[in-house]
Amino acid sequence: MNSLIKTEWLKIKNYRAFWWLLGITTLTYPGVNYIAYNIFKKITADKKEVSQMAKFLIGDPFSFPEAWHTIAYFSSFFVFIPSVIIIMFITNEYTFKTHRQNIIDGWSRNQFMTSKLIDVAIISVIVTLLLAIIAFIIGFITTDSGMGNMFDMIYYVALFALQTFAQLSLAFMVGFLVRKAFISLGIFLFYFMILEPVLTKIKYLKSFDLGRFFPISISNNLIPVPAFVGNFSKEAYEKSIADIGFYIFLTILLTTAVWFLCYRLNNRRDL
Amino acid sequence: METVLNIQNVTKYYGPLKALDNVSFDVPEKSVFGILGPNGSGKTTMLSIILDVLKATNGTYLWFGKPSTHEDRKQIGSLLETPNFYHYLSAYNNLKITQSISGRGSEDEIAEVLKKVKLHERQHSKFNSYSLGMKQRLAIAAALLGSPKVLVLDEPTNGLDPVGIAEIRELILELRNNGHTIIIASHLLDEVEKVCTHVAILKTGHLLTSGPVEEVLIDDDIVELGALNLNKLAEILKLIAKNVSIDSKQQMVNITIPKGSAKLEELNQYCFDHGVVLNHLVIKKKRLETKFFELTNN
Repeated sequence: MNSLIKTEWLKIKNYRAFWWLLGITTLTYPGVNYIAYNIFKKITADKKEVSQMAKFLIGDPFSFPEAWHTIAYFSSFFVFIPSVIIIMFITNEYTFKTHRQNIIDGWSRNQFMTSKLIDVAIISVIVTLLLAIIAFIIGFITTDSGMGNMFDMIYYVALFALQTFAQLSLAFMVGFLVRKAFISLGIFLFYFMILEPVLTKIKYLKSFDLGRFFPISISNNLIPVPAFVGNFSKEAYEKSIADIGFYIFLTILLTTAVWFLCYRLNNRRDL
Repeated sequence: METVLNIQNVTKYYGPLKALDNVSFDVPEKSVFGILGPNGSGKTTMLSIILDVLKATNGTYLWFGKPSTHEDRKQIGSLLETPNFYHYLSAYNNLKITQSISGRGSEDEIAEVLKKVKLHERQHSKFNSYSLGMKQRLAIAAALLGSPKVLVLDEPTNGLDPVGIAEIRELILELRNNGHTIIIASHLLDEVEKVCTHVAILKTGHLLTSGPVEEVLIDDDIVELGALNLNKLAEILKLIAKNVSIDSKQQMVNITIPKGSAKLEELNQYCFDHGVVLNHLVIKKKRLETKFFELTNN
């Protein structure tokens, strides 16, 4: 295991595109949340009655403990940035044919896949740490009243980690199957940003409530839309919170299936 | 002598195309084993299978007498088809990855092998800035790292200049003398002839023949004779030798004689006694190229 991590680090350490993308990720996550926070502040800062009403209705989404939920939700839209890193990691191996060389040099095919699984896990951990730091800072700044319950909703950090890992695993699978960097990126981003959002809104699927079982939606449901964003009923919100356990199960199931498929295929096919 | 690699009835299909057809041969320890064949004969497919890059459709292979595992490959220095390295890394950093995966060699040895293939001056330049020949040298350096007892080299002289080719030949001879086993695929017959102890010849996926070089490739000696009257020379030679032919272009008569049995003094005396004075008498080994064409053209 250590040797796999060490080898991946040797590959990544001098890969400039990785550091650029990591830099962009590091700027995007706080940036997005800062913008959302500012919009919220603007709406509620007004002394007018309407604004105060809004504040009353919305509550304090950027204060502890809600901050963990709100910031995890906004950040989760941007998983497509680290997904570029993951797709580059796997398609590079095909471009340079090093997926063969690694095997020739003495890795088993399973070890090769495990090294990629480690990559996905490491990127998920980095992104999650980033989220935790941002949520902590914003929550710390905005919480006026007591900090006693500040860690009440910190489980959203874990849900975010699972969501990120699940979606990056899907990105990995696309890169693994397609092998070509730009085609994989195109397919994944198109699916992530356009195709699935459109498909899940098809009336037929909606009427049976099937949209939620699409690969990205399954893990999106881990972090429900915060109460103040959606204008749906209290019951619907509470249901989405109550369903989280079910989606944890589905996400783990899907992600396991994704990796099982990748390992199996890699063991059987010609490289 | 122990067998390093034992290939048993390996067959490989690419879709409907049969790339290897029931191929079996053994590679003895400390041999330089040449796998020969024209383009598309299945050489690289064969090597890819024994390195687990391709899966054989049928058949098995044993490394060191056992079914192969990835741990075996760590002990084998290999160069397969093209040099495969991370384009954005330097030669040195690429070899660190080779070292990390295979466990062969140390940081000092990386510097050493780069020196050996004459890349040390450019060792910190990125791989994508290298010429084809330099990439090939790096691939050879990777195979040599940690001085593995077994090497698998697929067209090792690809892209090298004549000096580079001669250097690789020297290197292979040096390795052979130090007791390494080398499996080498090539279509450059000259090279193979100079270094190999054993050969296997493939043609469109079929194994035509395999064994020690002297058994496979040189089965007859050719004696070349010249005289003023070629017709008379040919006539008298027909009484004692088979395959007498007149090469009118060279103004020579060629005869084939079982390997090692040609005695030039006796032959000279025989011709003189029969009234023909020779002005040319040379014994020539049948060259690999000739044999190769004979085998692969049928």
